[in-house]
Amino acid sequence: MSPAPAGPLFISPPVEPTVDWLRLLPILVALPAAAILTWGLVRGRLPPAAAVAGLVLPVAAYALGMLMVMEKSKEAQFCGSCHVMEPVVKSLDATDGSSLAAIHYTRGLVPTGEACYTCHSGYGIWGTFDAKMAGTMHMLRTATGIYDLPLKLNGSFDINSCLGCHAGAASFRAVEAHQAPDLQEALLNHTMSCTGTCHPAAHPETALTGGNAPT
Amino acid sequence: MTRAACLLGLIALAILMLIEVRLDGATATIFSFVGIPALAVAVGLYLLHRWRAGAFHFTGASRPPTS
Repeated sequence: MSPAPAGPLFISPPVEPTVDWLRLLPILVALPAAAILTWGLVRGRLPPAAAVAGLVLPVAAYALGMLMVMEKSKEAQFCGSCHVMEPVVKSLDATDGSSLAAIHYTRGLVPTGEACYTCHSGYGIWGTFDAKMAGTMHMLRTATGIYDLPLKLNGSFDINSCLGCHAGAASFRAVEAHQAPDLQEALLNHTMSCTGTCHPAAHPETALTGGNAPT
Repeated sequence: MTRAACLLGLIALAILMLIEVRLDGATATIFSFVGIPALAVAVGLYLLHRWRAGAFHFTGASRPPTS
């Protein structure tokens, strides 16, 4: 991403510095856990009370760590930390209107810090769950190198991610094409997509091919 | 077996510290596919050790009658 212009006006929302409990709690639980496990490693056995603590504390530390990962992995910066996603996240800065994602991102129509997650997760608890499951599979595929370029969406895009904001918007409702019953049905049946036909592609082709020109 | 479980638990905690220091795609992948399995195996090993030592066996015995 390009360096952002400096100044307090560009920091949103302005927040007071607070303790990052999400980051701190796993450490606070992990430290006594590590002490007990080290004791067990040296002695080869643990007293019953220490054994219970040695069992519960690492699991608790991991549960808290998992919460932290779940929350921090919503950030676009996290998505862009994988080599294959780097060009996609970089392309969000484009102001030429060439991709739907960049239009939303540069105009602030989605929370810029969590832009990827906003559009690629459904609503409700199952939307989050599905997004996290998909993210885990992405990590597995990235780690094993089992993926093809250009990157393609697995299945069809959940139009509810768009409608969550647009459905109630007067400007969206006022568009004559959006009012056509057959188009509405086609979009909801996933036989037609918002992108490609009427609106620009979600992401530029060059970004989906890992930054290389499509062949 | 306790030593192996403790060692695996410590490896898992070291990986947890790794994501505390730097959370990105690489460390999250290690956390998910190395750290969590290491912790699960550690817990499994310890429970197996305790089970072999006689814990968790249903003996049919209950608390002594109070009257």
